[in-house]
Amino acid sequence: MFWIGKDVEVFSAQKEFIDTAIVPLTVIDGSPIGMKQSASAAEFLMSLTAFVEQQFKGRVMIMPPFSYTNSMVKKDYIQAIDEELKLAGFKYIFYMTSDHSWTSAAPELSVLWLPSIPLGDMDQSVKQSVLSDQIRQVVPMLSSKWSEL
Amino acid sequence: MSNNRVTRRQFLNYTLTGVGGFMAAGMLMPMVRFAVDPVLQKKEGGDFVLTKQKVSELTKTPVKVDFTFEQVDAWYKSDVTSTAWVYKEGDKVIALSPVCKHLGCTVNWEGDPAHKNQFFCPCHGGRYEKNGENIKGTPPLGPLDEFEVKEKDGLLMIGKTRPNTLV
Repeated sequence: MFWIGKDVEVFSAQKEFIDTAIVPLTVIDGSPIGMKQSASAAEFLMSLTAFVEQQFKGRVMIMPPFSYTNSMVKKDYIQAIDEELKLAGFKYIFYMTSDHSWTSAAPELSVLWLPSIPLGDMDQSVKQSVLSDQIRQVVPMLSSKWSEL
Repeated sequence: MSNNRVTRRQFLNYTLTGVGGFMAAGMLMPMVRFAVDPVLQKKEGGDFVLTKQKVSELTKTPVKVDFTFEQVDAWYKSDVTSTAWVYKEGDKVIALSPVCKHLGCTVNWEGDPAHKNQFFCPCHGGRYEKNGENIKGTPPLGPLDEFEVKEKDGLLMIGKTRPNTLV
């Protein structure tokens, strides 16, 4: 599911089955050195979350990405988002990011950190296989949380 | 000179009718075109998509076959890669849609080691038999959809989905 009108309608009707929210976290870096890196990391993350959506459409809701800069106190924002999503009725909330600073910034949240792979120059079929490989890293993390309760 | 000479009045009548007719046609044509437009429109998604899978290499075990088609979402065009689970039943090629009939996750062949020879949906543990029939007691309420299939030069072509015809 995506955070769009039609899917949210389904979510409201099927809350017992759609219980997981995934929030992509993307850093916006405007410096000349960091710009390209941050853009391609965002590209990678968007492709990856869309792929996760395809595989787990009936259980996860992919939220619009949370974008921030390094000068923001990002932890406060994310805690507000976390509370809001719990209020909405999600039992599991995951954050996916390529920004390594999150692993230490918010240890109590389920942050899935994946090193970014530049997809920009890749062929469609290569992209597909790279993303499938990455998905294989994500699935165990999701299913271990799901089977906790 | 012929006997029936064209009078000035007749000449004017002919030319005016002619020119008027052209003008009327010029206005009517686009209107008619708009009215019949839905009939002339090309059907999208009705075409078969060629895959890289050789039909001769298919076996009784379902394999994943990827195929790509163009999808238009408002003004945004994108190539969408979709998959099908394809196997042979005798000489017949069967292609099943991997979309779970419960809430639309992607099912995998033998995705759960505990249940061999079944399709498994990782989201809520839905299971299907090899022919796509949903197993009672698991969340899905209907069988997996089937793709129309064709063969071209030994390669598999995948068409539209249709309700399962095997169950």
